[in-house]
Amino acid sequence: MSYLELLRLAAPEAIVVLTAFVVLTIGLVTGRREAGDTPAATAGLGALVAALGLAIAAATIVRLPGHATLFHGMLVVSPLNSLFQVIVLVLAFFTVILARGERLLPNKGEYLAMILLATVGLMLLIGSEELLMIFIGLELTGLSLYVMTAFDKASQTSAEAGLKYFLFGSMASAFTLFGLSLIYGFTGTTSLAAIGPRLAEQALPPLLFVGIVMTLIGFLFKIAAAPFHLWAPDAYQGAPVSTAGFIASGSKVASFIVLGKILLIGFGPVSGSADWHGLIAGWTPILAVLSALSILIGNLVALVQKNVRRLLAYSAVAHGGYTLLGLIAGGRAGFSATLFYTTIYAVTLVGAFGVVGFVRRENGGDDLADFAGLRARSPLLAGCMAIFLLSLAGLPPLAGFFGKFYLFSTALRAGANHGLLWLVALALFGSLISLYYYLIVLKVIFLDENAQATPAVARYDFEMRADYLPKMTLLVLAGAVLLLGIIPGTLVARILASFG
Amino acid sequence: MNPTLFLIFTSLLKIVGIVFVVILPMVSYSVYAERRVSALIQDRLGPNRVGPAGLFQPIADAMKFILKEDFTPANVNKFYYWLAPCLAMVPALMTIAVVPFGSTLFGVPMVIADINVGVLYVFAIASLGVYGIVIAGWSSNSKYPFLGGVRSSSQMISYELSLGLAVIPIFLLVGQLRLTDIVRYQIENGWMIAPFVGHWTDGWKWLLAIPMSISFVVFTIAIFAETNRLPFDLPEAETELVGGYHTEYGSMKFALFFLGEYAAMITGSAIIVTLFLGGWHLPVPWWNHAHGFHWLLIDGSLGGWRGVIGGLFNIFVFFGKVSVLLLFFIWVRWTLPRFRYDQLMRLGWVFFFEIALVNIFLAAIIIACLPQ
Amino acid sequence: MSPFFFWTASALMLVFGAAVIINRNPVASALSLVVSFLGLAALFMSLDAFFLGIIQVLVYAGAVMVLFLFIIMLLDLRAEERRRINFVAFAGGAAVAVIFFGQLYLVIGHLHQAKLPFAPLAPMQVDDVHRIGLLLFGSYNLPFQIIGVLILVATIGVIVLSKRELH
Repeated sequence: MSYLELLRLAAPEAIVVLTAFVVLTIGLVTGRREAGDTPAATAGLGALVAALGLAIAAATIVRLPGHATLFHGMLVVSPLNSLFQVIVLVLAFFTVILARGERLLPNKGEYLAMILLATVGLMLLIGSEELLMIFIGLELTGLSLYVMTAFDKASQTSAEAGLKYFLFGSMASAFTLFGLSLIYGFTGTTSLAAIGPRLAEQALPPLLFVGIVMTLIGFLFKIAAAPFHLWAPDAYQGAPVSTAGFIASGSKVASFIVLGKILLIGFGPVSGSADWHGLIAGWTPILAVLSALSILIGNLVALVQKNVRRLLAYSAVAHGGYTLLGLIAGGRAGFSATLFYTTIYAVTLVGAFGVVGFVRRENGGDDLADFAGLRARSPLLAGCMAIFLLSLAGLPPLAGFFGKFYLFSTALRAGANHGLLWLVALALFGSLISLYYYLIVLKVIFLDENAQATPAVARYDFEMRADYLPKMTLLVLAGAVLLLGIIPGTLVARILASFG
Repeated sequence: MNPTLFLIFTSLLKIVGIVFVVILPMVSYSVYAERRVSALIQDRLGPNRVGPAGLFQPIADAMKFILKEDFTPANVNKFYYWLAPCLAMVPALMTIAVVPFGSTLFGVPMVIADINVGVLYVFAIASLGVYGIVIAGWSSNSKYPFLGGVRSSSQMISYELSLGLAVIPIFLLVGQLRLTDIVRYQIENGWMIAPFVGHWTDGWKWLLAIPMSISFVVFTIAIFAETNRLPFDLPEAETELVGGYHTEYGSMKFALFFLGEYAAMITGSAIIVTLFLGGWHLPVPWWNHAHGFHWLLIDGSLGGWRGVIGGLFNIFVFFGKVSVLLLFFIWVRWTLPRFRYDQLMRLGWVFFFEIALVNIFLAAIIIACLPQ
Repeated sequence: MSPFFFWTASALMLVFGAAVIINRNPVASALSLVVSFLGLAALFMSLDAFFLGIIQVLVYAGAVMVLFLFIIMLLDLRAEERRRINFVAFAGGAAVAVIFFGQLYLVIGHLHQAKLPFAPLAPMQVDDVHRIGLLLFGSYNLPFQIIGVLILVATIGVIVLSKRELH
């Protein structure tokens, strides 16, 4: 390898990093004149540059060679990786646009730069098949997201959320690093492709299982699977809305793809089985138990939430549980079902958080009561929210329905004599519960009258201030959710084809 | 004799010899020199009563320090209050371990520990020296020492950056961190601040002198800051902080701070000499029939009494150079006024840090162009 | 590596590592951490990894911890007040730690590698500084640079979060 080749293959990441520098400089040069909020021109220019950089990076990814590997898997270019890097870039793109709505941030340039740097972390997570690089990507993403979560310095909940997220996250990272060191100690390599064969050829010592379980903790933390979900409600509720959206979307997609790669490529030989009568020790039973826990806890606790962001957080825990089903089922079919579901989920949640952001700007809060009568105030937002929530609940013909169908049917087919039936049944039961709380939100939006009548001035102000760009974005996202539900085949075919 | 035993024996001899026979007397006499030179600069006499020309003054001072009552103030944090002076003294003496203070004597290399990370060792140990000051400031439980400790920690951290960056051009050139290798390189290729010596017609070598001189200046100034010498003696600025971190100390504990400070100055000078001024090397002009006029390299490699004399000569040269630098340190102290604290910080972070950074690139470019 | 040296350095590390969390006085905790780092550096050096050992001292003991002390002093943290210990939480935490330790102990005890003596270290062929340099600029170049980005993120984050806003 040469430095030139490294630069060529890592060009998308390099472009995003450079864009972050440019955005930082814009913020530094133009945004520091007076106290208070970032000047609108700075914020606009920064967002424009950031969006442009992301677009260029995506274009660069498309032009990369089909397959390439650097440094024993530290950087792997493959259709699968490229596809998901583009998806993450698109999610970051939406986040940047929705971040325009964040009014309370005085350091807009730094905030945008953080989104970009977190995106670099996600791209590296996706593009790497080597434990060291994966850990660094995990940390890069994590650190940026901790900072973004605590970014709203005017709000105490933001600081609290940032601190909780940071403490849980660093603890989980410590476990992961410990686990990775054990795995390295046993196999003598950090390359996923080499770990699999090493594990297959020797008798498995129990210490290796300790290592695998510890490694999983870090990723289960990222996807907020119970019992590692405790940070999620606070982070989703306290963070700036666009950050919460990014944590729920981009970070989740990348985590699932890495988790899948580690489990299926690296730890494939020690998968075990979670079938009802044929339990075999391995990571599958562990994941199955955690998945069941997540589905139950997430859905049941979501029932009593009075805050929409908290509700979305608990529903995210449950959705993390569903998504794990695909990995438990294993194989190419299971992995692609997981990837499809998490992509759809990410698109939906970015949209849902976009709506929450609008309501928050209007009413200053995001409790359920603040959504009352949204239909009357903004039919567009209410309609979008309905699409997002019904998709999360899994109603046809929306994307969520097909995602769940694909996921559950794959899981059902995976084990011998429908061994995973118990888990699928549980997931279906969880979906039923979830329908109830999603419908409650919709009831509040469509049927309830606005309790505290918004003064006419504020409404007028809101209508005038409303950015057309974020609204358009929400429409696009809602359209995507609808479209992916009607013709899911295109994305599924893409994912399946990218496995090569 | 058993080689291991021999190694232990000679190492012990070197440690004892360097610390007790060379460094400590040098410390006392640099205090004496400080007072005499300052008197000279300020047109006074200075200490001249004890012994001929006041030469026994350091002994009298030492007696005084030892005989004074060892007083511990009531409200200090006792354990740390006692610990601090030791922490201030020890690192300064430890750093000298890797500095080659001579070539060889009786075939024994004149360096206590010739380890491959030489300079980094010096930086690492020197960076521990700040604990003595910080803990002294904190444990005294008093405002002025506390301010001194806080100032000291931030100042030393800030200038450590320039210190570390300034020597990188040398490593780029030599490709080694081991100090004996650096000295050996300078003997063969000219001292670091004058790399063109012996290659008078080579333009790149002349160019190389630019980054090396910048390194030398930045490094020397950073050493000033690291040893808390004027114009950077903010941690103990008398006019602002009474005495800074050692306000609450007296008798032997104060003496340890004092000794530590001068010992740090001596080791700092020794590092400068080793890195930039050719270490123990001094070319001697010579003439004989076979070669005509040439520069003679004297070291301890010759057999018999010539080798012994050569080895002693090298040691003498090394400490001679160190003494000259010490005089320079003293001279600066009595010539320049003190910086303000914010000026000191800005100088460190905005000026020297950037210069050292750019200097690395400059040096790298020139070294890449050097004919091999 | 001589076993005596190993046990001394390890004991130093563990005792002072425990002192970090047992001490009520933040300055004492920080200084204990310094000693613990020095023990770790000594372990590195006894494995002939001089560079790592020295960097451990230089970066952690010499720079990071000095800054820690600096912050602790600036904030003027007093010794932590003695709280009433929440015994349920304490017992729970202790139980988790004991179970975890017991599990590791049993698992390692079952390992046949754990009973084998360590193979002697191969004598060092090349300067460790050179080797680390070559690795950093060769096959570990990408992670090396990404860690640069990571530190940038941390720097920006700290500055943004800790800066006082003008109002």
